[in-house]
Amino acid sequence: MSDLDDFKATYFDECSELLTELEEQFAVIEEGERGADRLNAVFRAIHSIKGGAGAFGFSALVGFAHAYETLLDYVRDGRVELTDDVVVLCIRANDIVADHVNAAQSGEALPVDYGAEEKARFDALARGETGGDDDADADGEMMDDFDIDFTPVMVNLGGSMAEGEAPVEDVFESAPMAAAEGQWEIRFTPHRALYARANDPLLLFRELAALGTMSVRAVLGDVPPLSDFEPFAVYCSWEITLVSPGLSEVSIREVFEFVDGDCDIIIAQAGMVPSLADIGFDISEAPAPAVADAEPDLSSLLALTEEEVANPQEPVAPLADFIPEPPAGPVGAQDSFEEAPVLSFAALAEEIMPAAPPPAPKPPVAKAAPAAGGGESEEGGGRSVGVQSIRVDLDKVDRVVNMVGELVITQSMLTQQMDETLRARYTELVRGLEVLAQTTRGLQDSVMAIRAQPVKSVFSRMPRLVRELATKTSKKIKLETIGENTEIDKTVIEQLSDPLTHMIRNSADHGIEIPEKRLASGKSETGTIRLSAEQAGGNILIIVEDDGGGINRERVLQVARDKGVVAPDVNPTDEQIDQLIFAPGFSTASEVSDISGRGVGMDVVLSNIKKIGGSVHVRSWTGKGTRMTLRLPLTLAVLDVMLVKVGDSPYVVPLSSIVETMQCSRASFERVPSGGRVLQVRGEYVQVIDLGQRFGLATQVQETDQFVVLCETEGSQKVALVVDDIIGQQQVVIKSLEENFERVEGIAGGTILGDGNVALIVDVQGLRTTHLHQNAA
Amino acid sequence: MEALSLRDDVSDKSALAAQNTLQLIAFSIGEQTYGVEITTVREIRAWNGATPLPNTREFVRGVINLRGTIVPIFDLRARFGDGQTSPTKNHVVVVMSVGDKWVGILVDAVSDILTVNRDDIHNVPEGNSIDTELLNGIVTHDSRMVGLIDLHAVVSGAKMDG
Repeated sequence: MSDLDDFKATYFDECSELLTELEEQFAVIEEGERGADRLNAVFRAIHSIKGGAGAFGFSALVGFAHAYETLLDYVRDGRVELTDDVVVLCIRANDIVADHVNAAQSGEALPVDYGAEEKARFDALARGETGGDDDADADGEMMDDFDIDFTPVMVNLGGSMAEGEAPVEDVFESAPMAAAEGQWEIRFTPHRALYARANDPLLLFRELAALGTMSVRAVLGDVPPLSDFEPFAVYCSWEITLVSPGLSEVSIREVFEFVDGDCDIIIAQAGMVPSLADIGFDISEAPAPAVADAEPDLSSLLALTEEEVANPQEPVAPLADFIPEPPAGPVGAQDSFEEAPVLSFAALAEEIMPAAPPPAPKPPVAKAAPAAGGGESEEGGGRSVGVQSIRVDLDKVDRVVNMVGELVITQSMLTQQMDETLRARYTELVRGLEVLAQTTRGLQDSVMAIRAQPVKSVFSRMPRLVRELATKTSKKIKLETIGENTEIDKTVIEQLSDPLTHMIRNSADHGIEIPEKRLASGKSETGTIRLSAEQAGGNILIIVEDDGGGINRERVLQVARDKGVVAPDVNPTDEQIDQLIFAPGFSTASEVSDISGRGVGMDVVLSNIKKIGGSVHVRSWTGKGTRMTLRLPLTLAVLDVMLVKVGDSPYVVPLSSIVETMQCSRASFERVPSGGRVLQVRGEYVQVIDLGQRFGLATQVQETDQFVVLCETEGSQKVALVVDDIIGQQQVVIKSLEENFERVEGIAGGTILGDGNVALIVDVQGLRTTHLHQNAA
Repeated sequence: MEALSLRDDVSDKSALAAQNTLQLIAFSIGEQTYGVEITTVREIRAWNGATPLPNTREFVRGVINLRGTIVPIFDLRARFGDGQTSPTKNHVVVVMSVGDKWVGILVDAVSDILTVNRDDIHNVPEGNSIDTELLNGIVTHDSRMVGLIDLHAVVSGAKMDG
């Protein structure tokens, strides 16, 4: 069972990737780009989802995916035009597929008729277009009875399957339909690559057999004399006669979808080509006797060619012995593969039609076989050749990240130990340390790059959210995404999904106005939400912007006063009011959300973002829109900091927020009426926060010169932190305080210094916020 | 820094001990003896300073680095309202697990390992709520009173505004 669970987990991983890809493809298709590549990618994705679902017996998913896939196939063939309506239907279908996948993953059951409406529309679309076609019957059958004509083979590991349909085993005769007779001749010539990819012809035959009454003949005419016999080459091909009323070529091709490119397939309706059996016989003439003389095993195999194989299971059994394990075979000879392609039946058929003698198949096949290893990459041109990746357990990566973090600290500690006298004396050591520092940095960057992921994985979930919100709120909303290839640490990305969802929901729900109102205020009917990501220094900025009505500040302030968040006699600035929407408790203020203010779940945004060391800032323009900015650290593991001293305690300030450091006398701090102090820095007045005072630590009050660290917080607001001493710059690994304690106001976490002592990380943004709060209260 | 692991040599004894007995680590604060169940104790270390945490109550002495993780230190004397301990190298930090967190308790000295009978645990006399809040019970050992510390209560309410 655990094996199956592993496979399932992998399948669901892949599904989420494929669903992401679907979103991406349709984002482009929606824009109007409707190239065949896009459609093929969509088709492949749906097909892969369906294939896996069949293996695990998720019949509802299979049913829907199949109907969808059929529509896509028609679109691909041009039988159904890809109109905007169809695109919308497809996007809706993607959502349904996603829901089915989720349901399958969580084990929850969706309503039986879930997606039935869409399925019916697929049907209607397909029928509408194909009504007059020659193979109308065939298509009609396909659309109506997809549950019957597609019966994926279930994976059965130790008989542990519990749910779903019974595994389709050995069903080689089933002719469930009755309509016009359809007889198909299929010539299936696998290449070596097919076996190298661990495909089993037996499975393909089973799927074919499910389509109708089938007979299979093995064609062993290509088997060369033993002297030329290549043990790893593929000499065997098959001829299949499939009789099923109303069977279309498409459904046969579908069976071979997964091995497309790894084999030659010729499908012809009976009577359209000369008897395949005859051709097979012709081919086998020359080389067959030699083999029969030489090798008893092969001769018994060959015997199969002579009599028609009535029961197709029999040739399959010796096949297992005959086809060697996918070999770690000879690679190379790539050129010869091109020069001498595996003799395709298409070529054969052309030659034979004018009754020309068949070309001797032996030399090309013998040559082609060793080339197959090298040929694979060429064969798989359509597959993902470029991206080579492995799946690694995140824990393993984290362990490396942590160790590299410790290494960075040790390295910076070593560097610190080198004072001037030591530096002068041990130049070699100094040089070594410099190299070590460089290498460590490089190592750190590489490790971080492993964890980094494009934000695309989160962004791609948002179009669906916006669609749903637009429907729910009867608004017209367009989502624009920018910079989705920006890479952030995986942990950050994981934490990003919830806040982004809340922010977009907030924008759609409260920001964007209803179409009438938008028109009335001279805006376009469709509102726009712009989601963008960019890197800014050591931070990533994620911005959610809408062109809606902006924050209703009066209302927000009113509710804040009612709730006691803001004292009645305090008049906050516009900016301060905007930030109020993040105040805890505001999230539950349904009064606000129902009327027009903002605040649904926004404290979730703030707390989630704070947890990963980021910050949120909101800015609003009445009638024009709102912009929310998330500032996130590039990585969570290592932080560049400035080490300072407050009282006797070491503190560190994240370098990313520091603008400059300076020394100035206390006398230059001016008083403001609230009791706070400000400092003039080049013409700008900046709030002063005395860390010693703020943290309740005894500091040496120097009337003369004081060290000031000028920091920048959200919205380019500056704040001057007064410290007792500035020690230097270094890198630290962030350690959680919450792990064994709880969150402390004004502290973002802890870190361990080279001497083993703990230093606390100053939460500049948090300090400023509480500072405003205290002064406002 | 002499970290002393108690877990191993204790496990044998506890196997011998009948179900109804309880093993305690006893430590002293001034003249008074207190105890915690031995299974919660992770290690005992000498006091070596701590980094103070701002905006916390006086009984939070700060945080220390315990092999790469940050562990808060609670001053038990201050927790009982007797003012902060002035720790020396002879003072001891008992590192314990409370729920899924590790915390250190600053005490004057660790005195003994006691085996007591569960039936001999008395209720804390009603009266001052601090007593009943911070103590789970009282046992007598060698005619001395040993207060059983309620660790969850000791470590709660560490923030300034409670």
